[in-house]
Amino acid sequence: MTAEVLKYTREQVEALELAPGTEHENLEGWVPTLASEEDLQKALEKALDYRGDVTMTLKSGERIEAYIFNRRTGATLADSIVQYFTPKAPEKRSVSFAEIARLEFSGKDRAAGKHWEDWVKAYNEKKAAGEKNIALHPESLE
Amino acid sequence: MAVPISQMWTVSTYVLKKKLTGNKRYPLVLMLEPLFRCNLACAGCGKVQYPPHILKKQLTPEECFAAVDECGAPMVSIPGGEPLLHPQIVEIVNGLIARKKYIYLCTNALELKRRLPEFTPSKYLTFSVHLDGDREHHDYSVCREGGYDIAVEGIKEAVKRGFRVTTNATFFDGTDPHSVRAFFDQVMGMGVEGIVLSPGYSYEKAPDQHRFMGRARVRRLFRAILSNRKPTWKFNMSPLFLEFLMGDRNYDCIPWGMPAFNIFGWQRPCYLLQEGYADSYKELLETTKWEDYGVPSGNPKCANCMVSCGYEAPAVMDGFGSLKGFIGMVRGTFSSYRDSHALKLLNEFPTQSQAPLVQIESNARALEETNV
Repeated sequence: MTAEVLKYTREQVEALELAPGTEHENLEGWVPTLASEEDLQKALEKALDYRGDVTMTLKSGERIEAYIFNRRTGATLADSIVQYFTPKAPEKRSVSFAEIARLEFSGKDRAAGKHWEDWVKAYNEKKAAGEKNIALHPESLE
Repeated sequence: MAVPISQMWTVSTYVLKKKLTGNKRYPLVLMLEPLFRCNLACAGCGKVQYPPHILKKQLTPEECFAAVDECGAPMVSIPGGEPLLHPQIVEIVNGLIARKKYIYLCTNALELKRRLPEFTPSKYLTFSVHLDGDREHHDYSVCREGGYDIAVEGIKEAVKRGFRVTTNATFFDGTDPHSVRAFFDQVMGMGVEGIVLSPGYSYEKAPDQHRFMGRARVRRLFRAILSNRKPTWKFNMSPLFLEFLMGDRNYDCIPWGMPAFNIFGWQRPCYLLQEGYADSYKELLETTKWEDYGVPSGNPKCANCMVSCGYEAPAVMDGFGSLKGFIGMVRGTFSSYRDSHALKLLNEFPTQSQAPLVQIESNARALEETNV
């Protein structure tokens, strides 16, 4: 079975040896073409899963760099909103799908380069070099 | 028994009351994430991959209390991020104790010893310390040499000061059950109340997506680990849930049983998947398409999940909500689960004395050799 399977039967689930997992696309820097409503909806779904900030350019010309964490879809684009946090405002904000003219996956993908193999490689190199107290440290928040 | 009688009484009367009033969807444990910030940088972590401005945000005590009051769950688990990095965590904990909620504060314990004097021991408060194995295994798993020693120092100090303490461990593909069983001996020797364990879940936001066991492999691993138990081992979990992990029972996921609340709102549909947020628990209950999740839905995102946030609630509800379940729970509490087949299974696992507990270098490793 692969991740492309859309639905599993209970028998398939119970027999699974390894989970298929999610295929992550390299979205950092991506500017989707928004030629149709469907394009916009698909791009916003990817923005929701993206592990970094996205810059939204509104039809008014305003640019908002934000972490998009939620969407509420209505019958039309005007009835649908995305919710986001910006780096400077403490409160949740929202904007209608209909106001969005452009999206850019402008922020750093915060999971990039954090694979288990990266740690194992770094650990082995440091160990071989005689280093003590080997550790990965959280990135600075400033 | 690892769980105190008073806690069992609170949970059992809560479950019975819900059953008698015909309430089919109710929360048992609130997963309250007051922040995502962490002082570890574990490779592959699926919980903290956010931009800095999100990692700097945190829930206020008032927001925490409002969520707890709204959903009404008798137990509150506080994961994260690292909750002890929250500047008002003591105020949050004290507010929950005042509400008579049983709290499991999940911590990597790097800050535990230093902050213990700020807390007061209570039957309502348990420090649930993340410990993935012995010194070598744990340090490798959390990507920090010395992490184990600091955590154990925190555990011992907390036990000494009279706090309730459990450990919690997550197991991924390639876990050596021999090593886990030896680790249980070690942990119980520290004087903890009990052990909490879980198979890893394939978080969508995790950098690595090929480390997670499917159900067949989870069942074999947990059968090998949890059968033929030593009398000294205590588990701070429902015995029926442990039987589910071992493959002796089947439950369907109840995601609303352990809802998650964080800076974004009420996470839809559960602690593990992020498919949007609701503004209230009521909205979460009423507007989530529950039929789209769990094994019966066929949703691939739910395929490998055997995690407590989906499956411990139905086990607890079964244990306190039916005579058959109650008898099973009592029997499970005192059973050593003697099983010669499981012993054979255990002995077929290669011992990885030179390798980390979380030894996950390839997809085709030890457990496939244990197919029976």
